[in-house]
Amino acid sequence: MIADIGFITLLTAFLCAVYAIIAAAYGIRKKDDRWVRSARNAIIATFPLLLLAAGLIITALLTGDFSIRYVSSVSSRGMPTYLKVTALWGGQAGSLLFWNLLMSAFTATVMLSKWREQKELMPYVIIVVGMTQVFFLLLSTFIEDPFARNVVIPADGQGLNPLLRHPGMIIHPPMLYLGFVGFTIPYAFAMASLMSNQQSDNWIHTTRRWTLIAWLFLGLGLILGGRWAYDVLGWGGYWGWDPVENASLMPWLAGTAFLHSVMIQEKMRMFKMWNMFLIVLTYCLVILGTFIVRSGVISSVHSFAQSAIGPLFFAFIVIMFIFSAYWVTKRHDTLRSENQLVSYLSREAAFLYNNFLIMAILAVVFLFTYYPIFSELFTGEKGFVGPPVYERALAPLFAVLVLLMGVAPLTMWYRTSIKRLGRSIIWPALGSTVFIVALFFLGVHLWAALLGFWLVTFSAALTIMEFVKGTRARMRKGEAPWTAFNNLMARNRRRYGGYWIHIGVLIMAFGIVADGMYQTETQLRLLQGESITLGDFEMRFNGVTRYPGADDLLITEANLDLYKNGKLVRQLTPKIELYQRSGQPMTIPSARSTITEDFYVILVNWEPTSADAATFRIFLNPLINWVWAGGLVFVFGTIIAAWPEREKQRVRARKPAIAVAGD
Amino acid sequence: MADLSWQNTEDSLVLEKPRRNRLMFAIGGILLLSAVVFLVINAMSGNTQLYKTVDEFYADQDRLVGRDLRVAGWVLGDTIQYTQIDAQNSILEFDIVDDMHNPGQRLHVVAYNEPKPDLLQNEAQALVEGQGDANGVFKANPGGLMLKCPTRYQEMDPAGHPDSVPTS
Repeated sequence: MIADIGFITLLTAFLCAVYAIIAAAYGIRKKDDRWVRSARNAIIATFPLLLLAAGLIITALLTGDFSIRYVSSVSSRGMPTYLKVTALWGGQAGSLLFWNLLMSAFTATVMLSKWREQKELMPYVIIVVGMTQVFFLLLSTFIEDPFARNVVIPADGQGLNPLLRHPGMIIHPPMLYLGFVGFTIPYAFAMASLMSNQQSDNWIHTTRRWTLIAWLFLGLGLILGGRWAYDVLGWGGYWGWDPVENASLMPWLAGTAFLHSVMIQEKMRMFKMWNMFLIVLTYCLVILGTFIVRSGVISSVHSFAQSAIGPLFFAFIVIMFIFSAYWVTKRHDTLRSENQLVSYLSREAAFLYNNFLIMAILAVVFLFTYYPIFSELFTGEKGFVGPPVYERALAPLFAVLVLLMGVAPLTMWYRTSIKRLGRSIIWPALGSTVFIVALFFLGVHLWAALLGFWLVTFSAALTIMEFVKGTRARMRKGEAPWTAFNNLMARNRRRYGGYWIHIGVLIMAFGIVADGMYQTETQLRLLQGESITLGDFEMRFNGVTRYPGADDLLITEANLDLYKNGKLVRQLTPKIELYQRSGQPMTIPSARSTITEDFYVILVNWEPTSADAATFRIFLNPLINWVWAGGLVFVFGTIIAAWPEREKQRVRARKPAIAVAGD
Repeated sequence: MADLSWQNTEDSLVLEKPRRNRLMFAIGGILLLSAVVFLVINAMSGNTQLYKTVDEFYADQDRLVGRDLRVAGWVLGDTIQYTQIDAQNSILEFDIVDDMHNPGQRLHVVAYNEPKPDLLQNEAQALVEGQGDANGVFKANPGGLMLKCPTRYQEMDPAGHPDSVPTS
């Protein structure tokens, strides 16, 4: 019953999307508003339909309707309720349905909120968004039908792999999906602006917030994925340059370049073609990312069921690429720059360098990720590029990017004098030099680490100076310090939100440099009562207890005392949880986590026969919490930047450059 | 704060003529691009691995011995063995094959001082970085032992999805 209704619902949503494209195109051709409105209603209707379909699957998951194949493959009777609900995005078919649901929700929101403001663009937006929806609904309805039935109804489902029972893993996929789906909206508006031959930057203003929010979600998805790896996988790290990780990083990078580059178009009417290219690239990388994640073309430690959707995805990417290229070429004369670069030392030039660097990083990640395919094409042998190669190639590029992050905001539109720039950077430069000299005497001797710390501190100091200068300027007008600071941000959310994002990224960078250069790991066996000393720490092994846990868990837990400088600071209890029915063990690390370092232990081995000895692997991760803390600041900054400004200020912000250049 | 830059043109780099402007940017761009290409080549030279299945390794063993490889295969559960030699040293060993249901040649993977991954069990899919020798013993690099995450929530079915072995 549920299966039948579900399939019909999906089919109807698919037909609605197809109809919306046709009606919108016909309406444009006949200049008939009724057809366009009908198209809008059809595309909005996909949302309630998909909501119903998702509701049906969730009902089936909650009631344990194992006649549906999807339900039996991702859930089991014993699973807690929240995991049953989130199993909606637990498998391929459900993920695609969930993707469709988010897509239609975004589309409906845009249609309802921007209809009046962007009436001329809307029929074209419907066509472009509709094309994306038709493709994904085609997959959901005919190829990865979540309502497909089991031939034999099993008594219980297969359930959820224990490794994925982590909050990070439950939130991480929807975050990435929201990011992926979100970028479809600015892409659709960009294409609509070309197709309608509306020669303005309207689409940028309309979609700025969408872009920021999509970018935020994608960034959050990346950070949460890292956190999950750190907490659960027990290898002491958070990022492995795995193709699936890269597949989400690449659209995020392209989106980052786009977010920066549109600012020049808004202020200077330049780089129009380039921005078109960036949004098309971001969209294509989003689709490519979904394809990589879902197809297994590139071998990855993530593996997903092989299915027929690979070639279809490929075809869709090619179609959308040709479609975009056609319109960009056809309208290339409207995409001319209205201004020229005047100086190498100006805000717009700084944005150009920023774009160049991000594109270079993106190109390197792309090349390395697809190296297995390229190398097979050219040498006949499949090659592979590991994390050390990524790090060696990318570290210098990231270093320059960090430098630019601090210096670029000091430049002015049109041109900046070297003298003026020099005056602004001299003190932060000296200050950060003093800082790393101090670090040197505290024992930091690796030149790469010192250089990294210098760059990060320098850029952070410059960014903080921007806040100080702005606040002081307001204080001179008689505002109290705190009021001045708040007003500064409230009056120019976009700029100061952006600076907060920079500070967040710099905090992360500080942690990444420290952890990357100074992480240490040791593995050894301890007898009961024995201790090991690592730096300031001493860890004493008191023994192992074994007890049954919830469900059918058997828990083996080691008891450790952690001393720092001779003082007991924490009891650590790394454990191995064994799901006895499936035989799946799960290693749960235990860590003492502080702002300066994580002392992170996993229980590697304990044999009941040698009850007095156990093997541990210990990681000392300096400043790793800075990575997560920086992530929080990054989120905070993005929210500030995306927060709606009052109408009056938005009008002011749209005025061209000169007024804004030096405020 | 707003007004400085226009007057002060002497010491800023001003590009007067559009044509010269374009040329300078082209040259600058080419220089930057070559720098990136240099970084990539420098990072890759001698550091790439070859991707092989177990059978491919044996088919070309003479040439591949000692090379940095990344081998993928299915784990035979009853061959997994973890031995703690002394306080500092441990060995983790297991065999991998290309096809669980039609096992051809086995590759004996040996990893020193590595914890046993949670996912290392019968019919798991392993990716191992390291070097093989003439006797079919494959020594994993430190940290070079990776087990594929399961298919989201679903069980892997090695017989049903032979294609998901990356190199086939």
